[in-house]
Amino acid sequence: MKEKHYVMGDTAIARGALEAGVRVVAGYPGTPATEIVDDCLGVPGVHVEWANNEKVAFELCTGASLCHVRAMPVMKHNGTNFVTDFLMHVNFTGIRGGLVLISADDPGGLSSQNEEDTRILVHQYAHLPIFDPCSPQEAKAMVKEAFDLSEKTELVFCLRPVTRVCHARGIVEFEDLPKDLPAAHYEPDRERFIMSAVEMPKFGGLKRPQIRHRWLNEKQLLLRGIMEESAYNWIEKGEGKIGLVGCGMGYTLIKEAEQYLDQKLPLLKLGTLPLPREKIKGFVQGLEKVVIFEETEPFVEGLFKRIFQEEKIEVEVLGRSGFVPSDGELNVQMILETVAKAAPRVKLAQPQVPTLDLHIPIRTRTQCVGCNYRGILNALKQTVRKHKGIVAGDIGCHDAGSFRPMELQSTIYCMGSSVPMGSGMVLAGVNRPVFAFIGDSTFYHNGILGLMNAANNKINVKVILGENTVTAMTGFQPHPGTGVTLAGEKTTPVNVPKLAESLGISYRVVNPYDIKQCREALEAAVKEEGPSLIVSSMPCYLLSTRRGQKVFEPREVRVDPERCNGCMICINDFGCPAISINKEQKKVSIDPMICVGCALCADVCKRGAIS
Amino acid sequence: MKMDVVIAGVGGQGNIFASLVISQYAMNKKLNVLGAETIGAAQRGGSVVSHIRISDGTIYSPLISRGQGDLLVGMEYVEMMRHIRLLNPKGTYLLNAMKIPTVLNNMGLDEYPAREEILQAARKYCLHGWVIEASALANKLGNIQMTNVVMLGALVKVVPFFDYHEVKWLVNANSPERFKEANVKGFEEGFKLIKSN
Repeated sequence: MKEKHYVMGDTAIARGALEAGVRVVAGYPGTPATEIVDDCLGVPGVHVEWANNEKVAFELCTGASLCHVRAMPVMKHNGTNFVTDFLMHVNFTGIRGGLVLISADDPGGLSSQNEEDTRILVHQYAHLPIFDPCSPQEAKAMVKEAFDLSEKTELVFCLRPVTRVCHARGIVEFEDLPKDLPAAHYEPDRERFIMSAVEMPKFGGLKRPQIRHRWLNEKQLLLRGIMEESAYNWIEKGEGKIGLVGCGMGYTLIKEAEQYLDQKLPLLKLGTLPLPREKIKGFVQGLEKVVIFEETEPFVEGLFKRIFQEEKIEVEVLGRSGFVPSDGELNVQMILETVAKAAPRVKLAQPQVPTLDLHIPIRTRTQCVGCNYRGILNALKQTVRKHKGIVAGDIGCHDAGSFRPMELQSTIYCMGSSVPMGSGMVLAGVNRPVFAFIGDSTFYHNGILGLMNAANNKINVKVILGENTVTAMTGFQPHPGTGVTLAGEKTTPVNVPKLAESLGISYRVVNPYDIKQCREALEAAVKEEGPSLIVSSMPCYLLSTRRGQKVFEPREVRVDPERCNGCMICINDFGCPAISINKEQKKVSIDPMICVGCALCADVCKRGAIS
Repeated sequence: MKMDVVIAGVGGQGNIFASLVISQYAMNKKLNVLGAETIGAAQRGGSVVSHIRISDGTIYSPLISRGQGDLLVGMEYVEMMRHIRLLNPKGTYLLNAMKIPTVLNNMGLDEYPAREEILQAARKYCLHGWVIEASALANKLGNIQMTNVVMLGALVKVVPFFDYHEVKWLVNANSPERFKEANVKGFEEGFKLIKSN
């Protein structure tokens, strides 16, 4: 039975996997892919979990696949980077049960630390096939087909949706879920699944890695044949000698832009890697040039150039290597401007809009009003100022402490980078106290390894663990410190003090709503030699509020204008959005519509003007 | 027919609830719907925008392009102005008279434009607009989080496409049990906020 639902692309992907009979789904939260894992939950017989990190998720799914069940690891591009080592082995061994990797990209870095194109990593580097969807509905169909093809070819298949597919909402058709899922079974096949430099007698003593590489290369012909027939690549006829090529979301935006063009240009829609070579050759017959729109690197553009060189085709290839901007997200405006440049005879009819003569202030995100991170960040800011400290930062809600006005963390790179980077600063001999600030989800992702290393090598880095007991930024996913699984089962949360004891490092547990206590703990840590851990422990305010639980007793907070001298400490060292300065009067005020009454600012003010 | 709706606000103002209600309304009318939302890190006090595209024909992009919007819902002054160029100057806007200063505004390092300056720029861009005290009313009703349902009530009054009873039913159906009564009340009061002219 088919039913229509209005859902997010992520939900459509989850549904596609469930309809395909996926048995194991694992991922690590990351925008824009998070909801895919959440939405797989609730089907009997399907195991869905948040893993510590993406590599754990991928390896776990591969284990399941080798037992002949279908599995789906889910991650954003940073996660795919993190699993590269494993990817470069599983591509050689192949899999058994269908294994579909979801690697979501975030063009424009709308909610990411970087912008990248994982098609290069998965297809160019690991030689694995990819589907690049143009809509939520197509993403769902692709996931289902990817499971079948993965089993048929024995290869990991990848779906690479971009943010505008993951977080688009559209009408998607749901079909029935399979009634029976195949049972798991395992037979050893050491020639495949032992990845080691061992001699292969059948191949004259060549080493196994080379033979498995050969196996993967031979699969490419099979894949090409499949993609040549794929329903996700098609040609739309048009007039003129300039053709447009739309890959995934690029196609969708070309279709949107078409309504503003006075003629229909020939259009090739592409959704697969490897590319359908014969289809491309047919499309470019009689054309002078093609313009390729893809997210985000000029990757398909490069493949076109290679095909054209091999096939001796003299058609100019333009795209994101400069003709179309080489960074950021594609949009309709960009496509229209590019078409105007490539095909000046085509007339554009886009509505003209008046110019706007108004200054629009930029809005950077910050922690929620009432967030406990503000307390520990303020205490750290004071300590850092006093001792000329440096703070290495990490990913999570606390990262906003690195923006204005706090400007506390000096570095932010990848999950868990804070502790090793801080350690390196110490070892370089800066002769200043070095702190590493890390949230708990990031800590369990792989930050814990940095701490272990600092303990083992006796590095004098001061690690602050912001323990809010949940992955807050992406929407409250549980982690090993939460004490509950995604499915709601109770587990034993990691006991951080015991962990610190076993590492043989000093630790102090503080309440971030008690700035004085935080200050004292930081002060003591600075004074001691060797690695120290400060655990700033308090559940996330936003999640607690939603659950009707209090993390502080709210009270009305006011500024006494007689006492306030406009020193700005409550703004510059605390940064609560409810507090603002009146420049003429040189007084701060608290907006009662925004304030939630945590009263931390009262402790921040040195003049007792806030109470 | 087509109805392209943009909802612009600050993370936490309830954009997504409002956009879900509008989308479901269109779906119940057997129309095509496509939308896009800001989700994730940016939600934490950042600038957020939802696009909802409704049409009886095919819709391609989930994002509304420049000058295509039929309706712009501004949950906050500068957030509406940030996206006003998505609106067709012949379209309609509905603005909540709410100022949420940015971090740099709070520090005195960036100017938040004066209310009159904003309203004048909006009027100059588009003649068909309403400015209402939705957050103040929501606050009076007991919870500023109800701003979105107050705005939905007002929206139904100013845009003939929406049916009062059907949208009210959807507000009720989409609200969590403990907020149902309050949300429906907020919707009704929002509807009354706009005086017929």
